[in-house]
Parts: sequence; C-alpha cells; structure tokens
Amino acid sequence: MVGPTTSLSQLNRADGSASYKCPATGYNILGAVNAPVELPGRRDALKPEEATVEVFVKPGTTTAGVGERYVEGILRSVLGKVVLGREKGFPRRGVVLTLAIVGGENIERGDSYLTILPALLHAGLLAMMSASVPLSMTFAATLLCVTKSGDIVRDPSPTAAKAAVSLHVFAISSKSHLLLNESEGRFDFDTWELARQHALSICQGASDSSDGDVSMSEGKDGSLNGFIREAVEDQIYSDYAYKLDSI
Amino acid sequence: MSKEAQLSIAERDFILEALREDVRLDGRQPDQFRPMDITFGEEYGHVKLQLGKTSLIVRISAEVTKPREERPFDGLFNINMELSSMGSPAWENGRSNDLEASATNTLDRVIRHSNALDTESLCIIKGVSCWSIRADVHVIDYDGNLTDAACIAIMTGLQHFRRPDAVVKDGRVIVYGVEERVPVALNITHKPLSITFNTFNDSKHVIVDATLKEEQASEGDLVIGINSAGELCYMSKIEGSPINPMVIVNKTSVAWDKVKELNLIIDKVLRTDLAKRAKVGMADESRAENDRLVATE
Amino acid sequence: MSTPLVLLPSDEVPRDHLPANNSNPLRLGPGLRILSQPSSKSADSKHVLTATQAGLLTTDAKKNTVSLLSFPNRRYIPTVNDFVIAQIHHSSADFFHCMVTPHTAHALLGQLSFEGASKKTRPMLKQGELVYARVLSVGVGAGAEVELTCVSPSTGKAEGGMGPLAGGMVFDISTGMAGRLIRANSSSAETDEIEGLVVLSELGKKLESSGGFELAVGRNGKVWVNCSDSEENAIRATVAIGRCLQETDQKNLHPHDQKKLVTKILREMKLA
Repeated sequence: MVGPTTSLSQLNRADGSASYKCPATGYNILGAVNAPVELPGRRDALKPEEATVEVFVKPGTTTAGVGERYVEGILRSVLGKVVLGREKGFPRRGVVLTLAIVGGENIERGDSYLTILPALLHAGLLAMMSASVPLSMTFAATLLCVTKSGDIVRDPSPTAAKAAVSLHVFAISSKSHLLLNESEGRFDFDTWELARQHALSICQGASDSSDGDVSMSEGKDGSLNGFIREAVEDQIYSDYAYKLDSI
Repeated sequence: MSKEAQLSIAERDFILEALREDVRLDGRQPDQFRPMDITFGEEYGHVKLQLGKTSLIVRISAEVTKPREERPFDGLFNINMELSSMGSPAWENGRSNDLEASATNTLDRVIRHSNALDTESLCIIKGVSCWSIRADVHVIDYDGNLTDAACIAIMTGLQHFRRPDAVVKDGRVIVYGVEERVPVALNITHKPLSITFNTFNDSKHVIVDATLKEEQASEGDLVIGINSAGELCYMSKIEGSPINPMVIVNKTSVAWDKVKELNLIIDKVLRTDLAKRAKVGMADESRAENDRLVATE
Repeated sequence: MSTPLVLLPSDEVPRDHLPANNSNPLRLGPGLRILSQPSSKSADSKHVLTATQAGLLTTDAKKNTVSLLSFPNRRYIPTVNDFVIAQIHHSSADFFHCMVTPHTAHALLGQLSFEGASKKTRPMLKQGELVYARVLSVGVGAGAEVELTCVSPSTGKAEGGMGPLAGGMVFDISTGMAGRLIRANSSSAETDEIEGLVVLSELGKKLESSGGFELAVGRNGKVWVNCSDSEENAIRATVAIGRCLQETDQKNLHPHDQKKLVTKILREMKLA
C-alpha cells in the first residue's frame, strides 16, 4: 500500500499551509490557516477569553452544500479542542482554516462525508502547525470500513466505502486519547471496539495487533502519528538548515 | 478584513518613482510576465498555474444534464470562481467581494461569450440532454493579476480536459467510463486570453502582469481579450484615470504578442503532458495484457 | 549545543536539554509552557515543560533561556521590546492608530511618544506613513491593546533609529527572516556570516562606494531600505537590496548562494 504524502508551508499569503494526499482514497487536500486575525462583523459572537476557530471546506468541482457544512462542524469541534485559544495574541481573534479539495472524486449528494474526513483533519492539523497556532496536542485520524464479510479495511476506495456495512472515523491524539469517533451504518459494540483497536494501532503503531494486513510505509514506527511527526520535522530541518549547518 | 491592507506612502511613491526609470520591484521589463509554471494533476483538466507568487488551481468537470429550454441545441458551460481566505487573508470565506465579481465577469466575457468552447458540440439529444462543463477556479495564493492567471489556467484546462464518451441508443444516453472508451477532447473554437495592463503617472507608464503592490499603486487598468489570430473579443476600461487612445492602440498589439507567446507555452506543456500520459497508458495496457497471459497459463 | 531537537505540540522538553546554569531563573521563550503534573509516588510537585507549537528547541546557556523556533512563515504576534515597522492608519486626539500586521486590531502609538515631542512639536503623521517603533506593552487579558512607542522608556531618547521613516521603501519578508536579520545585527561576532546570512555584509561591501544604504528591520516581517545617498543609483540600489533579501528568504539560500545572488542581481540592476 502506498502511504500518504504531505508538504508544509507552500503558500505565500496564508500564515500557514499544508497539503495532504491519501492515494488509497484518492483525496488531495490543501489547507491554509490565517491566525490570529480579526473576524469582521462578528464581534458579538466571539468568546471574549479565547480564539474562535473557523473552518471552511471548499469542494473541488461543485458548490459547497450541506455536506461541507456538516464536516466543517466536526472539524471545528475537533480542532477547537486542541487549539490553545488563550495563549498570547489569540483571545478574541480568529483562527481561520480553509480546506480546498484539490484532488479526488466529488462526494455526491447523499454519500457519506466520512470518507474524506481523515484527509481534511490531517491537512487542517498540519496547516495549523505551519501557522504556529498553539496546540495542546497533535493527532492522527483514520477511516475504517467494515465489509459484508466482517473484515475491517483501512482507507477504503470510494466504491468500497459505498458497499460497506459500516464506516468509522477515529482521531487519536499523540498521547492516545480518543478525540473523535464518528460512525455510520449498522454495527454492534464488539465491531466498534475492534475497529477502535485497529485505529489505535494505525495511529499509534502499537505492536499488539496481530493483523497482518496493517503493513505501513509511513513513519519510522509505521504509525500515522509518526508520519505527521516526520513531515513536520523535515520541514523544520529544511527551514533551519542554516542553523543546523553551523552546529 | 474584506480589503487588502493599504499601501504605505513610501511604497506608493517608490513604485511610481521607480517606474519613471523603467524599474520594477522584481527587475522585470514593463511588458514582461513573471515566470510561469503550469503543471497537471492526475485527472484530465486539473491544472495548477504558478505566475510569480500568484497561484491557482483549475479543475474542469463534466456531467450530463438537461439543456436550457430556450437553447435546446446548446450544452452548458460555467466558470466558477469563489475567493476564499486561502488566497489572501483579505478575502472572507463564504462572502463574495468586488474582485471576485469583476474577475468572473471578465473571464465570462473573454472565454464564454467569445464561444471559445463550442457549446453546440456538447448537445447529446436536442432539448433532452447535454453536457454541462464546469470550470472551478481555486485561488490559493494571490499576488496580483488574478484575471490573466485564471484565464490562462482555464484555457489550458479546457484544452487538457477529456469528457467521457456518450452515445444515444434507442433514445437513451449511455455514458461510457474512462476505462471503457477513450474519453473525448472538448471542441475549442479559438484560444483567447486576457491581458491586463496597469497604468501609472498619467498613463505614461503602462505595465503587464502587475503584482499586488503594483496594482495597489496603479491609477487605472485596461483589460484586453484577444486570441492568437489577433481577433479582439473583449476590452474594458472600467475605472481609474483616463488613458490616451494611442496607448490603447499600442497596447492592443502588445497584448496580441503576449497572447501568441502564452499560447505557445500552453501548447508546449499540453503536448508534453499528453505524450507522458500516452506513454503511461501504453505501459498500463501492456501490463494488463501480460496479466491476462499469466491468467490464461 | 546538543543535537538539534524538534518538538511537536504536547512534547516534553527533555531535562538534559535545559541549560545547566541554576543560579538564574530559567526564562521561557515562545512556544513553550509549564505544566505541573500531580505525582502520586513522591511528594514533590513535578513540573514539565511542554511545547505548544512545532519547532526547533534552542537554548542559551548564558541568558539561561529556552525557546522554540517555529515555522518562519508564521504571523507576527506583538511581544514587548520588539522593534516593528508600523503604518499609520488614522489618528485620534491622543494616539496614532497603527497597523502592525494586516487584518488585526490596530496598535496605539501615543502622539507624544516621540523624542522631544510636546503638544506643539509632536510629529504630524498622515495616513500611510511609516514609523520605526518598539512594542511598549501588549496588555493583559482579553481585548488588551498593543501599545507602541518611538522613545526608549528609560532614556526618553529615540534609540536604534526609532521615529518616522521618511522616503525609502519597505519590503515584506518572513517573520523568521526578520528575526534572523535582527539577531545578526545585534550579534557582536566579527565574522561576515551570522545566522547563516552574508547577504547584507556582501551588499554593504559592494554598495559602499556608491553611497551605501540605511536599513531598519521590523519583527513584523518588514524591512525598510533607504539609499538616498546613492543619488542617481538610489532606486536601482534599493530594488537590488530588496530583491536580494526577499530571494534569500524565499529560497532559504545557503551563504555561498547568497554571494552569487548579490553578484547576479547587482549586475542585472547595472550596479556592478
């Protein structure tokens, strides 16, 4: 299986940016963060003590609709949890995240939006880091689908996702907290627990999984959180090459 | 937030003063575009254009729909450009602004109203079904000259795009997947592009492909839409200081030269990419054949 | 200095990376926070330093500081004592309202916060004019306003070139590059290359004969360049300096390539 690819800080105007491409699902997301900025015309709605996180999802070849508004809500709640909105310079300001779906199929009306959620979460998190928005932790997310035969498949293609009995998205922090759990379809608690364990091993690279098909090419320890870490490290090392040369 | 931060007096004065010596901030000549880089995504009609620090992605898509009642023989073609705060922190998400309206209007007139894409060729069954072609412009980095950049990217995208093949059988439309039948190129009638000029110092100094700072310091602009054959399809001088008519005449021929130059670049990148795709396609085919051989053995 | 260490949000700063000097209190730079962890085993409270941003951990044993260098493209957040280049937006009875970064609240600059300013002699600054100022305070709590000053609070003098910037040109650079330029400038080292930058010393050498240049760096990602002594070359020299700085920044050039860039651009601008 080909692992995801990502790059950071490629845009000039935005304060931070990142792209994230998942070859298995075909999605390619570009994320940009502007923070901290003034949010015009919404002063009354702002929380006085902390930053307001705004998320905007821009579909690739259609006009945004209810599906986008729905994932924006999920993204806002997950990212809102990890953004430290009380740090210096952030109270009463906005953290504006814009995510454009620049590659991959359109999500047809009525289809599940969960399939694209992990890619959006990763692009959003990396763009936040690129903009140096203070965060309490990092995380990784994964999409799992349970097939008719009861197998759990990671990152299913859009067709496979359509045929699935249930779909699950988990976001797990670098400290193994479960930050997000979104599920769709019919499943029992045992299946969900199995999927959760699966997700934990994908995100954290836990070795206790006996499942052979979780062979990954991502981070050093094969986990998604490791992949995120390496992507950030690579960018920092290249940005500070002048400093590292002199050591 | 819906406005770009104002230019400081020092910047405005310096830009004007430098132009008197024919110097631009990035060392370019008045008639010189910034370095341009066009790349393609995996799908047909997915174009990424980098023009200096202005950058955008265009995605062309097609779907079968019903034609308009008053034009039963015509397919549909729309250009959609929504400016988000990705391109500039000055643009508010979900809210349109003046730049979006004026750039979209220019693009519509240069490309759509000049019939660059032959919409009649998009008709499948008269009055019943036709193709609807959509160009989505995602501005991801904005440093001036949005209109010309978008125009180049859309025209490149339209020439790169392949729609699925569709046939009418017993009054029903069958759309073939890309794997089943070779997808079809769009019918492009001519290749117009817009060239935007910005004027300074009582139109004594006129430049192309202005950066954002140059646009902000400029007293007015002139947009010319013209194709490689020299046929003028659009001209606007909506606001700003008046321009001497001779400047317009001179700049029209500059615009024609620029369009010929740009279309040559576009042709070249299209040829290279399509050749690359053909190679990959052939490799895939022979691999598929090999697989079949293995399977029969 | 020990091996370079990159931290991500929630990562702990390893104890062996902290400066060993215990006589002074440890000072925390941006991107780090202190968390106290309840410890069940021992009675003593356990404090850990954790990162809130992604960045390269740097320590200064002399000043006993530890800080995190995060991405250089980030937006500037006003910090007390930083030099910034601010643009006047409008003025009110007591203050000039200035833009430090676009799309954020205006910072306040007292009408009398200039060297030798009194009610009668204060500068009359118009919209769009630039000042080189220092961040005086950023306030506490929500909705606090940032205040700037053009005089040193201790001496009442305009040290470090503070005050209105007349003429010249400002160029935008990344906040990371602005930090490097300022550190390179304040460093006492006698070498040409500080913070991996030789571009300025190289420009200085090559433009000295034609009149040299004046430079002011704002932490908010702006550089003001003035070559008014270069007479007929002033415009081209200013553009050349701006281009050299911006290209070094954007392409993150190695010192060796910075020298080549300076030579190339000066030739292009017909200055060499």
